[in-house]
Amino acid sequence: MDWVTIVNAVINGAVVGLLLALPALAVTLVFGIARFPNAATGDYMTFGAYAAVMTQMFVSTSLVVTALLASLATGLLALFFYGWVFRSLANRSPVASLIASIGIAFVVRSSITFFAGQSPYNIQAPLVRAWNFSGIRVLPTDLYIAATAAVALAAVFGLLHFTSLGRRMRAVADNPELASASGISIRRVMLTLWSIVGLFSGLGGVLLGIKAVVMPELGWELLLTIFASVILGGLGSPIGAVCGMLLFGISQEVASLYVGTAYKIVLAFFVILCVLLVRPQGMFGKIIAVR
Amino acid sequence: MEFYLIAISITVLIYMLMASGLALQYGFTGLINFGYVGFFAIGAYTSAILSMQGVPLPLTFLAATLLAAVVAYPLGIITLRLSGDYLAIITLGFSESLRMVLQKEEWLTRGVHGIPGIPRVFDNWAGPVSGDLTLLGLLLIVNIGVFVLMRHLITSPFGRVIASIRDNEVAVSALGKNPASFKTRSLMLGSALGGLAGAFQAHYVTFISPEQFVPLITFYVWIAIILGGAGRISGIIVGTIILLTFLEGSRFLRDFVGGVSEVQLASVRFWIIGMALICTIIYRPQGLFPDKTKKRG
Repeated sequence: MDWVTIVNAVINGAVVGLLLALPALAVTLVFGIARFPNAATGDYMTFGAYAAVMTQMFVSTSLVVTALLASLATGLLALFFYGWVFRSLANRSPVASLIASIGIAFVVRSSITFFAGQSPYNIQAPLVRAWNFSGIRVLPTDLYIAATAAVALAAVFGLLHFTSLGRRMRAVADNPELASASGISIRRVMLTLWSIVGLFSGLGGVLLGIKAVVMPELGWELLLTIFASVILGGLGSPIGAVCGMLLFGISQEVASLYVGTAYKIVLAFFVILCVLLVRPQGMFGKIIAVR
Repeated sequence: MEFYLIAISITVLIYMLMASGLALQYGFTGLINFGYVGFFAIGAYTSAILSMQGVPLPLTFLAATLLAAVVAYPLGIITLRLSGDYLAIITLGFSESLRMVLQKEEWLTRGVHGIPGIPRVFDNWAGPVSGDLTLLGLLLIVNIGVFVLMRHLITSPFGRVIASIRDNEVAVSALGKNPASFKTRSLMLGSALGGLAGAFQAHYVTFISPEQFVPLITFYVWIAIILGGAGRISGIIVGTIILLTFLEGSRFLRDFVGGVSEVQLASVRFWIIGMALICTIIYRPQGLFPDKTKKRG
């Protein structure tokens, strides 16, 4: 394996990692604040990708408009399921929300396949030639995707660390009872949380749809990869989710040079097992965060 | 019609075996196994591959049951000291990884082509109909046996410990019991039943392929026990019958509703399972037959 191939794999892995960091951040925030692993995240992504295809068919082919509308649609979807399902399960055990999130995943995916069928779609993006630096190839589209993801991630970290709303969110994550006793409105925190989850999963789905093919299993197949990297970074830690996903994205691309792409899911599974054996709290997690 | 009734009854009993295993794990112990279909697959493939090599069927069934239990052991050891969410993610990952392996390792499993021509259970038993009837009888005996054993298990000291782990794990460890060890044993027992069900499935349908073992099957079984009431044996029976009525009934749906294609019908089934999961959890958390010994969750 010559080094140019490996560098290309690293670049590709970094782009994939950065865009999957969006849903990974969504998973970790839900785990930190609403306290359950949201298995519907992958299918929220799928919904975003199909919403983008729909937008291009009926509204506008502009990628900016498409990405905005599709993320907004997914945001509304996430808020709807929060209002109907997760809000009523808030006082029950996390298991209830977890099982319900599987149900939501099925409902979202089957609604998509009922209307759109099983055949794949494409999100139209302008065809561009890759820049070639003596064998190291960089697609401008990939750069835009990475930049969009990076800006979105920066926005959430800004929200979490520099606004009072973000401070309230972190307070709820640390200790919901204490936060509620100090007069923090859990409701507003939850609405913000689920808007971010929807917008981010949707945007992640659109970006992925531009890079790959849009199909019903798009998000579901990534669910384990996302969970693996979130556990690697430390469940509930936002910075851990982003670093974990980047690390995972790159190592996955490099590893598939050697073992083939078919075993990506298996690789994710083994990473989870190894992390849980060696360092159950993940790279950035606090011990107390492990329940 | 007779054939059809026999066929449906066999399927019901195979699902009931699976539901018993999952109910032992979730209903009685509180373990969230989202990869149950993986153990079903292990059972099916183990028994199929061994019997194709000429191993007698009773031995292949035994191997299928044991191997499913053995595979559950490391999963339990790694995750059961952590919270339940981890077990859910790990088991889901396990079943999906296993499916990838079944798809890719063609030397062992013939990959996506599947394994055809698996010997039936009572093949040389005077024709297929009486063979199926005998199989039905055997499944009935196995199911009743499992229920009797489970009743004993639940009322035994072991059963009381796992029920209290489900309700309050901290209290159990405070009393000096080690919850992880009890949970591992329950996980292995339940998975063994999944493996046994898999063996029955393989030798009944005589053809297995990786696509028969998608996560949807796991959630079929989940909906059966949640709907029926997870902590009761009557819940297992009623839940399985409701599930199979729905699965078989939706087959006839197409005769009444025009303009729905086969693919769309699959989506509709999938949608109903999702909705059933959501609605039961929200509106009927204890299932149709609430377990009166369990505290409200």
